[in-house]
Amino acid sequence: MLNKTLRAAVAGTFLATGAMAADFTACQVTDTGGIDDNSFNQTAWKGVLDAQEKLGIDGRYLESQAETDYEANINSLLGGQCDVIITVGFLLGDATAAAAKANPDQKFSIVDYAYDPAIPNVLGQVYSTDEAAFLAGYLAAGMTKTGVLGTFGGINIPPVTIFMDGFYNGAMYYNAQKGANVTVLGWNPDSREGLFTNNFDSLDDGRAFAQNLYDEGADIVLPVAGPVGLGSAALADELGTDKMKIIGVDADLYETDPEKGYVYLTSITKRMDSTVYDVIERTMNGQFVGGLLVGTLESGGVGLAPYHDMEDLVPDELKAEIETIRAGIIDGSIKVGG
Amino acid sequence: MTYQDPTGKLSEKLLDRAAPDRAAFEDLVIVPLFAVVVALILGALTMLATNVDLATIGKSYVALLNGSVGSLNAISETLTAAAPLTLAGLGLALGFRAGLFNIGAEGQILVGGMATVIVGFSFPGMPAAIHLPLALLAGAVAGGLYASIAGWLRAATGAHEVISTIMLNLISYRLIDYMLRLPFIQREGRADPVSKSVLESAELPRLLSFIDPNLRVHAGIFLMFAAVAAVYWLLFRTRLGFEFRTSGESPDAARYAGMRAGLLIVLVMGLAGALAGLAGANQVLGVLGRATPGFSAGIGFDAISVALLGRSHPIGVLLAGLLFGALEAGGRQMQVDAGVSIDLIGIIQALIIVFIAAPLLVRALFPWGFSKLTKTSKE
Amino acid sequence: MNIELRGITKRFGSLVANRDVNMDIRAGQVLGLLGENGAGKSTLMNVLCGLYRPNEGQILIDGKPVAFDGPGDAIAAGIGMVHQHFMLIPVFTVAENVVLGVEPTGPLDHLDLKKAREQVREINDTYGLEVDPDALIETLPVGIQQRVEIIKVLFRSAEVVIFDEPTAVLTPQEVEDFFKIVRGLRDDGKAIVFITHKLNEIIEIADRISVLRGGEIVGGGDPSEMTEAELAEMMVGRPVSFAVDKTPARPGEPLLEVRDLVVLRDNDDIAVNHVSMTIHRGEVVGIAGVQGNGQTPLVEALTGLRQVAGGEVRFKGEDITHAGARKRHQLGFAHIPEDRQRTGLVPAFSIAENMVLDCYYDDRFSRGPNMLWKVVNETAARNAAEFDVRAPSVFEAVRKLSGGNQQKVIVARELSRDTEMLIAAQPTRGLDVGSIEYIHGRIMHARDEGDGVLIVSSELDEILALSDRILVMFEGRIVAEFDGATAEKSKVGLAMAGAVA
Repeated sequence: MLNKTLRAAVAGTFLATGAMAADFTACQVTDTGGIDDNSFNQTAWKGVLDAQEKLGIDGRYLESQAETDYEANINSLLGGQCDVIITVGFLLGDATAAAAKANPDQKFSIVDYAYDPAIPNVLGQVYSTDEAAFLAGYLAAGMTKTGVLGTFGGINIPPVTIFMDGFYNGAMYYNAQKGANVTVLGWNPDSREGLFTNNFDSLDDGRAFAQNLYDEGADIVLPVAGPVGLGSAALADELGTDKMKIIGVDADLYETDPEKGYVYLTSITKRMDSTVYDVIERTMNGQFVGGLLVGTLESGGVGLAPYHDMEDLVPDELKAEIETIRAGIIDGSIKVGG
Repeated sequence: MTYQDPTGKLSEKLLDRAAPDRAAFEDLVIVPLFAVVVALILGALTMLATNVDLATIGKSYVALLNGSVGSLNAISETLTAAAPLTLAGLGLALGFRAGLFNIGAEGQILVGGMATVIVGFSFPGMPAAIHLPLALLAGAVAGGLYASIAGWLRAATGAHEVISTIMLNLISYRLIDYMLRLPFIQREGRADPVSKSVLESAELPRLLSFIDPNLRVHAGIFLMFAAVAAVYWLLFRTRLGFEFRTSGESPDAARYAGMRAGLLIVLVMGLAGALAGLAGANQVLGVLGRATPGFSAGIGFDAISVALLGRSHPIGVLLAGLLFGALEAGGRQMQVDAGVSIDLIGIIQALIIVFIAAPLLVRALFPWGFSKLTKTSKE
Repeated sequence: MNIELRGITKRFGSLVANRDVNMDIRAGQVLGLLGENGAGKSTLMNVLCGLYRPNEGQILIDGKPVAFDGPGDAIAAGIGMVHQHFMLIPVFTVAENVVLGVEPTGPLDHLDLKKAREQVREINDTYGLEVDPDALIETLPVGIQQRVEIIKVLFRSAEVVIFDEPTAVLTPQEVEDFFKIVRGLRDDGKAIVFITHKLNEIIEIADRISVLRGGEIVGGGDPSEMTEAELAEMMVGRPVSFAVDKTPARPGEPLLEVRDLVVLRDNDDIAVNHVSMTIHRGEVVGIAGVQGNGQTPLVEALTGLRQVAGGEVRFKGEDITHAGARKRHQLGFAHIPEDRQRTGLVPAFSIAENMVLDCYYDDRFSRGPNMLWKVVNETAARNAAEFDVRAPSVFEAVRKLSGGNQQKVIVARELSRDTEMLIAAQPTRGLDVGSIEYIHGRIMHARDEGDGVLIVSSELDEILALSDRILVMFEGRIVAEFDGATAEKSKVGLAMAGAVA
């Protein structure tokens, strides 16, 4: 615990002190899990860091340690010091909406939340993650030796389950195309129920859930729970990649988790960094409009990471099929909605 | 000299209060003060060790001060954070006074807050004058009953309250997960565990929203001050408080005096749980407006520190609660202004507790702060 | 080896614990050091043992000045102390305890217990101690444990042996044996310091006496030329009457009737085995017995603190066998408990709070849920003044009082009420002469007002001085009964040891 705390303190100080005085300040409020979660929060923060580098802005962040911090954290960034406040995560939806309504002159952007009706001073960033997850599902179905795939999520909320939907449907598409019988454990898209750790920070849970799926025969697991997945990766590291492979989410985990990078078959990337960067750039140029910014396979907002160490393992034929499906999804001939 | 003396005069003299004891003063004031100072210094050293330059360290401590008391908003945030810590801390202090080490405030906050939320969203149209007290009462009663389980287990079977309250914490986490998925609690249209929102008539009204809608301080602080006064009265002015304190200081003496130990244990745990339940109610009615699995946010554990730092005295707990509230609010500002991680505040809090728990260490570090009289060992 | 203390002064802040103390400790002699609790005996001996360094004065060993930097220096110089509270590890054997800290070791830190056992036997034989080196400490009676402490001191080649209140924990028989050992040590040329506040013992064993009061030596001399009364006056600073002022008892009607009482210990052993007795109004019944023969459970059962397993207890004809402590209290029971620090008082509480510990619920002291602290404080101040509790204020924590004053707080609380039955367990254990005299007077006063009084004490002298009737308890039974006026100490002592007369 202390170790983690210290590590976070170090990372925090390094990351945030590079800021210079600049004309434009982008502020970010993370979800629980921390700015250094190798995944969700970190990817979104990378967007600010990129903007810092390329656009010369000033970036600040506040870590939420518990749900009670959301509102307090947003509040402490109010008062004109931030040109845009970016809140990261579906769970900050309520707090962001409340702050946006109370402060109509402050520009907000939220990752993973679409307000209906839209709030004029909030730009939501959402992702058609299911498009990329569909590809991952197809890939996993083609790679499995046991015929069983596994997935689990952090909390049963749309930005999480959209991964699981796409993954499931992709695997089913493979079955339909090849007459195979690959099953997916951990998510049922019809009843909307499945395996959830109910948190985004317990590596122990990540390990235990993956172990359960492994015991049920799964040899490829997709954890959709931020840093929780690092626990699953640790298990795969121990078992060996011939027994278990992991599919990463949000960032290309081969890059962000280099120590165990070889266990990742691929990653379903959700380029929050690029949408966050996009939002900052738009705001700087005075083009901020409330509404939605959607990341798709076509726009590059979502995608499938390279296979890296697994490059040779994936048959060329399968790679080609994936490229075909990608084109099909983009031109609309393949529906990922199952 | 002896008992043949005219007793009237002698007894009058005995009613004089002795001058405040230097040792007690040192224990209550100087040790905590030094603990805070040492913790801040060590916090700075920690930052130095992680390559933070001196200017940033200075900036961060200025931010800590600014963010906790430097503005109306800062004071509002400090009070908002202090209220649940103080309420739960009072409950724990009550237990400590009676010799019970209750680790279960976290679970009691969850259960109390959950009951409050249910009442809070359940009665549309009810006037606030009834709805709000009813919601608070639900929190207190649910928290109290939940804690009484541990009390009853202790009284009836001797099961140690440290173990049973920890177990009850774990049970409460799952219980809340489960309840938040019940159709009548779960918010419509959501698949994740989140409750319906508390109705406005049950909310603890924000006190300064007429100045700035972002000032979060709410009527829960009155609850906090009232609870401090009530616990003070209970402990030091009532028969029941005398019984609590006696059984805490010496269970044998309490038995000798004919006090009913089992009943007292259940009562103390019940009251402690009620205060923790109020802390939960304070959070859901004043801050969050809904319940989610993590809404207790570790307050029940921080409250243990608050109760210990406050030496289990109601006024002490209030001061400790305000200090921890200030650290939380100021810590946030530290992160914003200086970019120093919020985790540092956790380190400083932990260091304060270490030094409070080791007064001898503080005395050894600051020998000039203490009278020589206390050093009776060999020179 | 001879030790001289010259002008020793020891101050703690403004408090002077020892002032200009001169004392000679000579080889082959027993020096009796007499003083009330708080007179400075312990401080002086801690100076001698190297625990404290004196502010002024010096210590001379065989004429040469020495300075001790710590207890280790004193031990090396041949000074050993047998403490009142033994410092033994119960689960270790005698030999293991003796060598603790100075273990004879072979190569590779091998503990040479064989050698240790031999040395223990040697000391045994020299002084006739008769201790089995392989016995576990926890299985040994207190008297033998004390001998282990003595062996420990001798094992470290002590030439000067200091005994701190050595007889407080011993039975009369054990005291006799102990005195034999002390004389043996003396005749072997050791210098002995014997600290006590018991006058008869010091006259019996000491070759010279020094009396300490208020940190200063106030007198001393040859015990054969001194009387107990003289010593007591020196120690307390005023004349002390020894004989309890006792008028003949006028027993009234039966007050407390105990029939066939059976009480179990926590582990379900029988502690009180079919005991029957009757206590009348206006009489003092004393229960004599070596500690651990069921007196404590008996008192607990009679005061409602322990469940009764069989038999019955009647008070004024009413069955109170299963009544709780509070019920009995309300019926007029006063209870001076055996362990005043744990049971009778809450040390951290003030005198005032302790003064209402078992009657705080009374209408006088509370109204509704509220305590009437003003009334409590005033009552406490009155009682404290009347019962000679010496303290600066009733708000003082009881913890800070001396043992005698603590006991007086209990006595004041229990006897300031209108009581009918007083049960007092070890009422004067560890107290100084002045306090003992005072408390005995109060107990007799209660009797003369018509209360029934039950005294339990392991001090046979106390039982003999106070009781109108003496019951002897042995292994849970009443084995003998004596008339208080005619009982002989030796016969009661024999009965206590289990030899039924």
